[in-house]
Parts: sequence; C-alpha cells; structure tokens
Amino acid sequence: MSHHLPALLFLLPFLTAISLPMVGLKHREWCRPMAIAAVSAMSVASIVNVVVIMDSGEIRYAFSGWAPPIGIEWVDDGLASVIMVTLSLLALISLINAGPTSSSALGQRIVPYYTLILLLIAAVTGIVFAGDLFNVFVFLEVAALSGYALVGVAGGKALVSAFRYLILGTLGASLYLLGVGYFYAATGTLNMADLAQRVPELMTSKAIVGGLIFMFLGLGIKMALMPLHGWLPDAYTHAPDAISPFLASLVTKVALIAWIRIMFWVVGAGAEIEHVPVLFLLVELGALAAVVGAFLALTQHEVKRMFAYGGISHIGLILIGVGIGNPTGFAGGVFYLINDAVMQAALFFLAGAAMYQYGVRTIEDLGRLRGQAPWMTGALIIMAMSMVGFPPTGGFFGKWYIILGALEAQNYLAVAAVIISTVLTLAYFIKLFERIFRDTQPSSGIIPVEAPLSMKVSIGVVSAAIILLGLFSDPIVGFLLDTALPSGL
Amino acid sequence: MLELIEVWLHRPNFIAFVILFLWGFYIMVTHHNLVKKLIGMYIVQTSVIFFLVAISAKTGATVPILLSGTGPVQAATYTNPLPHVLTLTAIVVQIATLGVSLALVAAIYRKYGTLDEDEILKRLE
Amino acid sequence: MIQAHDSVIVLMLGRLLIPLVQLFGLYVLFFGQYGPGGGFVGGVIFGASMILSILIFGPSASYSKVAKKVVHGDGLGLLIFAGVGGLCLIGGGEFLNYAALEIPGLEVASRRYVGIMLTQIGVAVDVAVTVISIVFSLSSNDEDSHA
Repeated sequence: MSHHLPALLFLLPFLTAISLPMVGLKHREWCRPMAIAAVSAMSVASIVNVVVIMDSGEIRYAFSGWAPPIGIEWVDDGLASVIMVTLSLLALISLINAGPTSSSALGQRIVPYYTLILLLIAAVTGIVFAGDLFNVFVFLEVAALSGYALVGVAGGKALVSAFRYLILGTLGASLYLLGVGYFYAATGTLNMADLAQRVPELMTSKAIVGGLIFMFLGLGIKMALMPLHGWLPDAYTHAPDAISPFLASLVTKVALIAWIRIMFWVVGAGAEIEHVPVLFLLVELGALAAVVGAFLALTQHEVKRMFAYGGISHIGLILIGVGIGNPTGFAGGVFYLINDAVMQAALFFLAGAAMYQYGVRTIEDLGRLRGQAPWMTGALIIMAMSMVGFPPTGGFFGKWYIILGALEAQNYLAVAAVIISTVLTLAYFIKLFERIFRDTQPSSGIIPVEAPLSMKVSIGVVSAAIILLGLFSDPIVGFLLDTALPSGL
Repeated sequence: MLELIEVWLHRPNFIAFVILFLWGFYIMVTHHNLVKKLIGMYIVQTSVIFFLVAISAKTGATVPILLSGTGPVQAATYTNPLPHVLTLTAIVVQIATLGVSLALVAAIYRKYGTLDEDEILKRLE
Repeated sequence: MIQAHDSVIVLMLGRLLIPLVQLFGLYVLFFGQYGPGGGFVGGVIFGASMILSILIFGPSASYSKVAKKVVHGDGLGLLIFAGVGGLCLIGGGEFLNYAALEIPGLEVASRRYVGIMLTQIGVAVDVAVTVISIVFSLSSNDEDSHA
C-alpha cells in the first residue's frame, strides 16, 4: 500500500475536486468541509510519505504499469517528500483561512471556487512529483489556469490583473513546451532519468542549449524571476485576500522546484554553455532579483504590493542558494524555499486579516493597528524577524547556510547580494513598523470588524511554524543533506 | 554564410514555425485591443504545436496508424507518434486557456464597457 | 440573448443535420482505435452539435433543454476516468494499469481495450460538457448561468 503513496497524494484533492460540482448541486454547504477533509487527509498522507522515504528510500511510481523510459513515472524522493509536506500543510492552513471572506461574498459560485482551489493543490502535487518533462508542462498549465480564474474572482481591477497574468503565463508555458520539444528532438526521450544520461555529453549541441534556455525563460516567467516578473505585483495585490496566500506560497514555488529538478537532475550541476557554467548565470540573475526586488519593495505604498516584491527578492535568494553549487548552498537554498513559502503565506494571511478587521490597504492605513490588535502586531514582528533573518526564526538559518555555502565556494558576489538584500528588507520593515508604532495622526473613524477565529488560528499557526522551522533547522537541513541532494553535488 | 542560408531553405517548416511564433508575439505586444492580444497568444501556441508536429515527420512516411495487424511493424514507414500525443495535449490546454481568457475578456467588457487596453488602464486609476 | 433563427431553411436543415453530427461524433469516439479520432475529438463534435442546436433554435427550445441539463454534469467525465484508474488501484496494479481491472472472463489484452474505451468515453463526456458550458457562460449577460 505504501508503494501507492504518490498516486494517493495526488488523487485525494483531485477526486474531491471533480466530485464537488455534482455534490454542490444539491448541498452547497458541504463544499468547504469536504475540501478541508480532503486536504487534511493529504497532509497526514504526506507526513506518512516522509517517514516511508526515510525508511526505505525513494519510490518510483510507473503509471499504467509500463516501465520507464517508455512509460510515465513519478519520482518520490527526499526533496519531493519534504516539499510535499510543506505544500500540503500550507494548503490546509490557507483553506482554513479562506473560509470567512468567501462564503458570504460568493453565493452560488462557491462550488467552482473550492473546485478550483482543490485543482490547484492537485496540480501542484503533480509538478512536485513529476519524473517526466511533459508532465511538468501539463500540471503547470492546470495550476496556472486555476490561478488565473481564482485571481479574477474579486472582479474589478482583479480582472485586468488576471488577464495580464494569463497572457504572460501562457507565453511562459509555450516557451517551456518549445524547450521540451527541442530536448525531445535532440535526444528522443522525455523521461528525466533517461535524459540525465544523454544530455551531459550533448551540451555542445545547439538544440540542447536552445531548449535549456527556452525552458529557463518559460519557468522564469512562471516563478517571476526579476526581469520576467511583470505580472506578479498586480496579480497578488488585486487578488482576493483569501487567494493571495495560495498563489504566493504554492504556484511560484513549484515553478522553482521544477527548475531545480531540470537543472540538477536532468542537465547536471557541472553543465557549461561555451565554457560558462550555467550555475554562474543562475547566481547572477538571483543576485539581481534579490537586490532589485528588495529595493522596489521599499518604494511601494500598498501593503500587499510590498509583500509581493518581497517575494520576488526571496526567489532571487533561493536561486543564489541553489546556484552556488555545493551541498551546503543547495540545502540552504531548499530550506530557504520552505521557509519562504511559510513566510509568504503568513504575510498574506496578515494582510487579509488587517483588511478584514481595519480596512487596511496602504501603509498609511497600518496606523490603525496601533495599540488595538497586539496579536496582529506580534505576529508581524515574528514575520519581519524571519524575512530579515534574525535568530531564532527559520529565515536566519536559511540565509546562514546560503552565506556559508557562498563563502565555501568563494563566491563573494553572492554574499554581497544576500547582505544587501537583507539590509533593504530591514529598511522596508522598519518603514512598516514606524507607521504602526509612531503614527501621530488620530485614529480614523473605522469601526473594526472582529476578525473571525479561523483567521486568527491561521496566523497563529504559521507564526508558530516560522519559529519551529528555526528551532528544528538542524534536523531538517541534515535530512536534506542526506537524502535530497542531486548526484552531481 | 551562404551554406547556412541554403541549410535554412531546405527546412521550410522550421522557417514557417519561426515566422508564426514571431508574428504572433508581435501581435501580442503591439495591438491595443484585448481580443487581438488573445489572437496573438493563440498564434504563438499554435506555432509551438506546429513545431511539435514538424519534428515528428519523416520523408515518405505515413500517418502513425497501423496498416495491418499481421507482420512486424517497420518503424521507418510511420511518422513518430509521440509528438502527436504531445500535440493533442497541447491543443486541449490551448482550448482551455482560450475558454478562460474569453470569459475574462467578457467580464472585463461588462465591467469597463471597452476592450481597448489604454482606455482600461486609464479607467483603472 | 441568443434567439431562434428566422429562416425556415436553417431550421429545417438544423433538424436534419444535428442528429447526423451527433452520430458522427459517436463514430469518431468509438473508432478512434482504428483511425484518427478518440475521446477528445469525439467529445468536441458531440458538444458542437448541442451548441448548434442552441444557436439555431435558441436556448429555450425543447432541443436545447438537454443541453441545459447536461451542463450540470460538470465533473462526471473526469470521475469516470479517475474511477477507472481507481478501480485499477483496487485491483492491485498501479493507477491506470488496465491489466489489473477485475473483469471476469477477459484476458489481459481485452482488459486493456476495455479500460482504454472507458477512459475515452469519460474524456468525451467531459469535453462535451466543457464546450457547452463555455458557450453558456459567454452568452448569458447578467444572471449566473449555472452553479
């Protein structure tokens, strides 16, 4: 039975998603409990999955019984299992948070709403486990389509942001498919393990180099790497407050996971294009994203837009971590990815709760929090400590391992980029806190609406998770160094 | 340089793919009407699908459907069926994207009353 | 709103052609193993026939009532597909390993044939419902068309 765990982890949200429209015809109020039950079962199954992987090694699940490389397989190894635990727990908490604002405002459309959220979670599972390049494309598009529709639910400005996201995201997916086509034309196979044997000696072939660059461009648009990030600030800002955590912590991170899989498990860490290592390119682009993203976050006025640019800068930091090319840097990068998913979800939960309770939209409105919501301010302090990188939160340990890895590889540009981005992050969080603690305007006439319990619970849980990730960073990074390293490092 | 151009001219289907891709991209970037941007996106996707079919072609080969049930299959007489499968999936994805995008455009028209991008951006302020 | 067409010729031809289109869609679906076709194309043709009936006779005609009912079966086709896969899981093989379907009296090759046919029927149902629901969601103006 444990051999079927990857399929089970995918089927739990997927079967619930496709039976929701017919259940929801008669009993619309069963949608939310069914969704929460399915994702809780998925979280339990993912924890069981990590235990099984720790005991007996990786599971390679061949669909329909046809053996790879002709058949399609899913790879459930150390990296996939850890990421799966993170994503399913974050999906569960985001679902719990999504309750209050959605059922009243949506009415009849609540059935497609939960169907799309569950499809998004199922598609993200498929990307994490995929062992085949084309599988990644299909699930990337399913997740993206659910994302486009969910961003547009809020109406008004969100429709234009969703349209822009759709155009750019589809362009990215087409570029990725073009890259897959080039790889197939050059090697004749799409299976990642099979490609890993054929690609390294073909690195001088123009088809492979072109395919790799197209795949990087496509996935770069999906993960919002710096020059290709144009869709992200509008989409995150105008999306409904319940949906932004899903987008921020799930969709962009799995595009990054897909790129890590392709870079390290297919092409190999030592790959060079015309004697320039590909990892060098990754570190440069990551450094650019980290610094410029944090700088742009300083200049924003709206709270959610500031958090969106913070997310862009963190994607750059993760790329620096994995691009350094030694085990410490890689484990630090992946650990920082887990932390960043939790931190982004936490920040958008907080933005949603502040919007619900006090109508906070811009940074000036944050002054309404002064002295009125100590739990919100306390949670924001914990999140800020993690984003900047103070001990004992998880963000500190992630950046610590990344800097350690960069010093080992004597890559001082990476160290400088991490430090500059940390200083800029500190600057914009100080700007946030100055508004809360030193605002001298009299409080405006907004009557606070008490935030429901589910929002408070979700903010509390992710704040605790940030501290727990910091306290347990040693075992987690040790597990990553043992089981999740690619073979070239 | 001359033999490079000769190599290109021997592969007209790849030249067609490049022209379609760049033309669709140009339409997506330059036109102001939202529906025309969608048409450009559709042409870009179609060009990638066309590329996938083009890499499966062999000279003198027929459609990859078994001609008769008996005897061993000669692989050289059939075109490569795997990119055809990728094409089918990509077409399904294209139709789904088109459906979602048309619904979004219809909702934008109901809300703003215009489909011109500059007008909409002005009204967003 | 879409209204019934004025011309008698269109109405007459519609009454003749729509069943033919549906029959052709079913043919493409079931003969997809021996020629070009299969679940997706069969579903699109079948859905197109229902869209034709909506366009020619209007959404309130008796021909189009079936189309409105069909839209409610949103996830049914995918449930058939995933259900067949789940039956294979229960039968002992991997997901979608049709050789593990528990059908007495059939050998392995016939079990794979039955599995493929069932999944193609599921895909066709799902695609037809999707295509009709796209047309419905684009054509209604202010009210929510379906849940």
